[in-house]
Amino acid sequence: MVLEFAFPDVGEGITEGELRKWLVKVGDVVKQDQPLADVETDKAVVQIPAPQAGTILKLHFNEGDTMHVGAVMVSIGEKGEKAAPEARKTTSVVGDLEESKEVLQAPEPEAVVPVQPGVFHALPSVRKLAKEKKVDLSQLTGTGPGGRITEEDVTKAGGGKPRAAPASAMIHMRKYDFYGYIDHLPFKGVRKLTAKRMVQSLYTATHVTTMDEVDVTRLVELRERWKIKLSKEKIHLTYMPFIVKAVVHALKKHPVLNAQLDEEHDDIILKKYYNIGMAVDIPDGLLVPVIKGADEKSIRDLAKEIQELAQKAKDRKLDPGDMKGGTFTITNVGVIGGIFATPVINFPEVAIIAIGRIHERPVVEDGKIVIREILPLSLTFDHRVVDGAEASRFLETIKDHLNDPALFAIDRD
Amino acid sequence: MTNLTLIQAVNQALQQEMKRDPTVMVLGEDVGKNGGVFRATEGLWQAFGDERVVDTPLAESGIVGVSLGLAVNGFKPVAEIQFDGFLAPAFDQVISHVGRIRNRSRGRFHAQLVIRVPYGGGIHAPEHHSESPETYFVHTPGIKVVIPSTPYDAKGLLLAAIRDPDPVLFFEPKKIYRAFRQEVPETDYTIPIGKARLVKQGHDITVIAWGAQVRTAEQAVVQAKVDADIIDLRTLSPLDTDTVINSVTKTGRCVIVQEAPKTCGLAAEVIARINERALLSLEAPVARVTGFDTVMPLSRLEDSYLPSPERVVKAIKKTMEF
Repeated sequence: MVLEFAFPDVGEGITEGELRKWLVKVGDVVKQDQPLADVETDKAVVQIPAPQAGTILKLHFNEGDTMHVGAVMVSIGEKGEKAAPEARKTTSVVGDLEESKEVLQAPEPEAVVPVQPGVFHALPSVRKLAKEKKVDLSQLTGTGPGGRITEEDVTKAGGGKPRAAPASAMIHMRKYDFYGYIDHLPFKGVRKLTAKRMVQSLYTATHVTTMDEVDVTRLVELRERWKIKLSKEKIHLTYMPFIVKAVVHALKKHPVLNAQLDEEHDDIILKKYYNIGMAVDIPDGLLVPVIKGADEKSIRDLAKEIQELAQKAKDRKLDPGDMKGGTFTITNVGVIGGIFATPVINFPEVAIIAIGRIHERPVVEDGKIVIREILPLSLTFDHRVVDGAEASRFLETIKDHLNDPALFAIDRD
Repeated sequence: MTNLTLIQAVNQALQQEMKRDPTVMVLGEDVGKNGGVFRATEGLWQAFGDERVVDTPLAESGIVGVSLGLAVNGFKPVAEIQFDGFLAPAFDQVISHVGRIRNRSRGRFHAQLVIRVPYGGGIHAPEHHSESPETYFVHTPGIKVVIPSTPYDAKGLLLAAIRDPDPVLFFEPKKIYRAFRQEVPETDYTIPIGKARLVKQGHDITVIAWGAQVRTAEQAVVQAKVDADIIDLRTLSPLDTDTVINSVTKTGRCVIVQEAPKTCGLAAEVIARINERALLSLEAPVARVTGFDTVMPLSRLEDSYLPSPERVVKAIKKTMEF
């Protein structure tokens, strides 16, 4: 019976050792515990004793080899016995397979590649420029598409002048085209912003406009009387405060017009405050200052505030805060001469009303033709949120109040 | 747990899976009584008999064709093509039928089939015994291509391949069949196909390799003294693009090591994907260290052909200093 004696763990948890010297050779007869070899471990040189008496049949390592614990180092048996034949490794056609005793580390659980803070995007050419200018790209905020750091960002950070834009990017401003002379206006500031807002509104809300007329003869009389009285207080009383009041009454009765649609969260937000925007025409475009808390203000207060806001708009002295927080907008197209209009909603509000010019018109009343002061109204609403019936009822409420201003006193806001 | 070589890990996987699943079969040249030229199938014929371990004629097209027929009828054949160069006669079956059966039958049939192929050079073998043909198969839809680089992965990936419902070409880097050992659990485990392995994490550069070249990459990173991410792709098709992109986005630099000839090799595809998704993170052009656009030379010039750690170090330095 042949004993295939494996290299044992001679110390505390060693895994390998170097065979320094064989103390026996093949054919030697050994006694139990007779030293077989000197082996150097990471701690010391130890002698490996024979586990049993017998004849040395085969030495499996050469001096200088590294032996791993568990590897057969010596075969011991009766004289004439043969060590177990080695398992065949390859057949002859194959070539030479590299063999070593190297042991790879067992795989560790894979960690996720950490996302580094300060990851930035820049074209290789920009990175090269940054290197030349000694600019640390991780410290820059990119202004290019998707936050990409551009050549200009690097040049600015490096204190140099940006390279002139290539010739192809320069637009030559001609004073004429094929058909005749032309002028150029810069498309910027209020004009550009207005354009952006209008497009956003028209491409998002579904605009529907309903139009109607209201007999405001009594309102005209009322306003004429109070205009004179208030002018002593330096208050210029227009129809606007009355219209704001009528609108607020109508919004309270029909809350869905004082709303905003949050499509992302499937939510129609009904606002419990009444901030009425008022479009003001200025040379650069259109500004919309907002009367905050219009429901809490008297006609006199509103008249004063409207006057102030309009002046500030014309002087371009409005704060950004003066133009934010609106819930509904009024635009006065009649101030110049229009009758009806199809106003564009001041997005994300859901409705806007255009006030036409008050003018005398023959009206049939009880079978007789009489002259009445008529105010044309155009209401545009976002059909995603407001239906035509509710919009018409809203318009009716406004009409009722403007037709009979006594309602302002009779109905609560 | 025992320390096994890569080829022993393959053998253990085959043993265990044949025991577990009676529909698993092994077919190939000398795989039965002889145990395979590299001993991958040693002991299988003795344990499972010649109904399940089939010695075939020297006809690779037949081996793959028969295996496909078995697979379509519910068996799980593991065919062995003895050497990479002998894949060519089976190419027609693989391209024209194996990769298409699911599509051709509109999903009614599929081929749960593994084709094992010892591949690659570095063992001083004769012609047709040292090729790296992976790119032909990565280019072909309908086939998965897997290449392990460690004993642990070899077992886990082979078990995953046998259990995968679609055909898998399983290339075994023969240069490292016995080059080292690793603890391989006796237990049943799989490694998901389609996931690369992050061999080592670093910050300066990403070094990507597969098969025997993973070792070359590891040695080069040590020699170059760089703080590198080393990625072993492990599955070449489908490619784990996310792992590559995450790493390159982090490091901004990349070197790819590929044993196959340069032109149209897998490295080119990896570079294209990096350009598509991580261009804006690059600090330098992605470099590749590859074989040459020549026939794989015979043994005397083999070492000049194969990517060496020195060549990879050079590419790493060039990329770092760009």
